[in-house]
Amino acid sequence: MTNSPYVSFSGVFAGYGGGDVLKDVTFNVPQGGITTIVGPNGSGKSTLLKTVSGLVRPRAGEIVFKGQNLVGKSARDILRLGVVQVPQNHSLFREMSVEENVELGAFLVRDRNVIAKRLSVIKEMFPIVAERSKDKAGSLSGGQQRLVEFARCLMLEPDLVVLDEPSMGLDPKTLKSMFATVKMMNEAGRTVLLVEQNARQALKLSDFGVVLENGHVRLSGSGSEVLNHPEIGALYLGGTITKASNESEQ
Amino acid sequence: MGALTDGVLTGSVYALMATGLTLVFGVMDIINVAQGIFVILGAYLSYTLQVHFGIDLFLGLLITIPTMFLVGIVIERAFLARLKGPEKTAMSILVTYAISLVIEGLLNEIFSVNNVQLSASYVNESFKLFGIYLPYIYLDGFLLAIGLLGALYFMLYRTRFGASIRASLADQSAAALVGIDVKKVSTICFGIGIAVTAAGGMIFGATNSFNASTSYDLISRLLTIIVLGGMGSLAGALVAGILMVTLEDLVGVLWSPVWSTMSFFVVLIIVLSLRPQGLFGKQSARVA
Repeated sequence: MTNSPYVSFSGVFAGYGGGDVLKDVTFNVPQGGITTIVGPNGSGKSTLLKTVSGLVRPRAGEIVFKGQNLVGKSARDILRLGVVQVPQNHSLFREMSVEENVELGAFLVRDRNVIAKRLSVIKEMFPIVAERSKDKAGSLSGGQQRLVEFARCLMLEPDLVVLDEPSMGLDPKTLKSMFATVKMMNEAGRTVLLVEQNARQALKLSDFGVVLENGHVRLSGSGSEVLNHPEIGALYLGGTITKASNESEQ
Repeated sequence: MGALTDGVLTGSVYALMATGLTLVFGVMDIINVAQGIFVILGAYLSYTLQVHFGIDLFLGLLITIPTMFLVGIVIERAFLARLKGPEKTAMSILVTYAISLVIEGLLNEIFSVNNVQLSASYVNESFKLFGIYLPYIYLDGFLLAIGLLGALYFMLYRTRFGASIRASLADQSAAALVGIDVKKVSTICFGIGIAVTAAGGMIFGATNSFNASTSYDLISRLLTIIVLGGMGSLAGALVAGILMVTLEDLVGVLWSPVWSTMSFFVVLIIVLSLRPQGLFGKQSARVA
């Protein structure tokens, strides 16, 4: 991992038409590591990821990746730059086979030989893709679907993998294997930007952490700094950082 | 047996026309109530080519299918691509109804309200099948419909573009996230949905007399077919199309022609009360 900013958020304001969800969000994602964004429900975590993948267009600010501002680019153009997102809800095409789903991950690649080569590599990395290749994706369990989604996103050989609450709905055993897969993707050279409700586990895995609250960045630092920060506990016990700060001052 | 034969032969043509409708709904969330008038427009195009240029009905499809495809592209870009937000589907009914009224008015102006019917040797000559005489056009129309449905099936299940359509049918956001240009897919799908009306219209016009207002009967049948089959389901459109005509014929033969049209709607109500998503529809998500 290098300390140079790989993705740089600068003064990002974004929302869905009913006011801003993100308010002046500014932070950097270092290259080659895992960056986890944590925060309470409604703090804007998923919206932030959608601004990276082009699903939500910020009304102000810049998101610079590889020297290019992603704001205003289409989801396709952002994919071409090497940014892939696995959304919060299961996004496999349920009536299509596992293999068809994974192949669609390389939809922007025209060369059938390249797709075939990548598919065979992915099948080695994710045995579920080989074992269940002809089964309908909808027949897989939630955890298996998540792994296939990871497999699909790697078909484009991305530089930045954006994961939105990948642990959602997974049982503890599957959760462990899911986090191991995130680590594996990172070790394979991908920079990972992760939003996770399972904050402690995710931050343990992370090189860098960001805490979002009400659309603002309230805290950022190394994964262990954020994890061991006294305010984080209060945040996840139902309080807010502001309240926790006041309490610690008293 | 005769009713079943007619059901399969004619029903496949309805299925072809309804496939365009269900494809457009599945990918775009648009209910195209102008599909009926597009069928009639297709029929009038075939009529014009035949009467004024002497072009055979089937040969004329080489002109009418691409023409209707372009008509679809232009209408989608000019009107439907602008529809967005949660009211998109409801608004699409109003917009396509307005389009339907405009085309109906133009057709009445150009061709008058007098009924016409396409004619050719294969329309007038018959063959005997299972004890009933059927004009050759029924068999030709069936083969054309099956051929086009087969081509559509091949495109959907064996090509990269087809995969992008099926992905868009299932989940537009997820499709966008893998790099599918959902807007482009929508435009082409609408073009395809309208292009099939050229073939459907030609066969319809050769087996029925028609004028512009015939479109109202057609659209009520086509909408009923895709609702019974399951909105967005291609297999459902085929099964429901065949079921509709077969049932109408059976009731007409075994009971009374007075009840034949109504019988399909009775079946529709019964099926929907037991399976609100239709025969092949899914409750939570549409599928290819």
